[in-house]
Amino acid sequence: MAALCKLRFGCRSAFRFSSSVSVRTSFSSDSEDGTRAGAGFAAAFQRQAELQREAENSAPDQSGSIPGQEQTFASLFQAVPVRDKVVVGNIFHVVRDDLYIDFGGKFHCVCRRPAAGGERLQRGSRVRLKVLDPELTARFLGAKTDTTLLEAQAVLLGPLEEREAQGRVQKQD
Amino acid sequence: ISDKMLDLPLEKQDLFRVSELFTVKDLFDARVHLGHKKGCRHRLMEPYLYDSSLDYDIIDLDKTAEDLRRALDKTAHTAYGGGIILFISRRRQFCHLVENTAKQCGEYAHTRYWQGGLFTNAHIQYGPGVRLPDLVVFLSTLNNVFQQHVAIRDARKMNIPTVGVVDSNCNPSLITYPVPGNDDTPVAMELYCRLFKTVINRAKNKRKQMELLHSLSEPSEPSS
Repeated sequence: MAALCKLRFGCRSAFRFSSSVSVRTSFSSDSEDGTRAGAGFAAAFQRQAELQREAENSAPDQSGSIPGQEQTFASLFQAVPVRDKVVVGNIFHVVRDDLYIDFGGKFHCVCRRPAAGGERLQRGSRVRLKVLDPELTARFLGAKTDTTLLEAQAVLLGPLEEREAQGRVQKQD
Repeated sequence: ISDKMLDLPLEKQDLFRVSELFTVKDLFDARVHLGHKKGCRHRLMEPYLYDSSLDYDIIDLDKTAEDLRRALDKTAHTAYGGGIILFISRRRQFCHLVENTAKQCGEYAHTRYWQGGLFTNAHIQYGPGVRLPDLVVFLSTLNNVFQQHVAIRDARKMNIPTVGVVDSNCNPSLITYPVPGNDDTPVAMELYCRLFKTVINRAKNKRKQMELLHSLSEPSEPSS
């Protein structure tokens, strides 16, 4: 507790000293620079513009260079689609009782409309799914490769509620 | 005039600025890296995969990005030179999308049943003096029964260069500019269609620009 208070006081004094630092000038300038309006604000604005320019110059270097892109794919790609994963899907097509749901994988899944609360699920509704298999395939006798159904298999758990959407972040798989 | 115009794209490295059109992140967001299961994998696609020991194939997007740039560049050069481009896809899910793409960039599409001699027997099936496409773009190289589309072999026979999006269950060997990538998800297909359409339109506009420039500068040439 005492340590936290000390940190906060330390931060405030740092703000007072570095009144020209970009984002924080907004509140410090109101209290302090009333008297020396022109000089303080002008210096702060110039400093902020310089910092923004530096940020813009450094950002394209990271995305434009080829080594950056190689690292990007390896860093972007984290996990393979796994079985028995609970995900949130989006219904993109409805044919009477069949709901075609896209959950961010390679294929969509088709689920039957549940008896309870089924009328609420229309095109564009978000639903919770348990993905049993991201791609339905099987190797038949005498075949060289698997035969694929171009579909995923999932169990519809229910519509996505608002309070569940907030709790979803802390939820385990 | 036409020689100078046609040499211009060969002099500059990336005249149509194809590398600006997409990033690896865009490909990732469009789920281009997702492949089929290990059991559906074609042996010749293994060099394009990120990790062959995984259960579900993941296509290495760095290689895809490079190949896609090369393919878009080839498409742009063909369109710049006034060539005919034919889009082929036998996926019923995307047939409407492909036909619209072709319409919007003023090129051609064939998304229906492929009759045997469309390329190889063209002069008899359509009439004498038919002009065949100068580039064929396959947005899906498989037909409805998961066999390689007949047009790949026929285009090769007629010396027509091909660009094709090959998924992890396709055979990339006969295609001139293969682009390893997902051909099953709508997001990925929309991305490819958008890229090809943009590139073709860019190339055609550049061509019109060059023609205007040359027609304006022509009166001054005899004097020099």
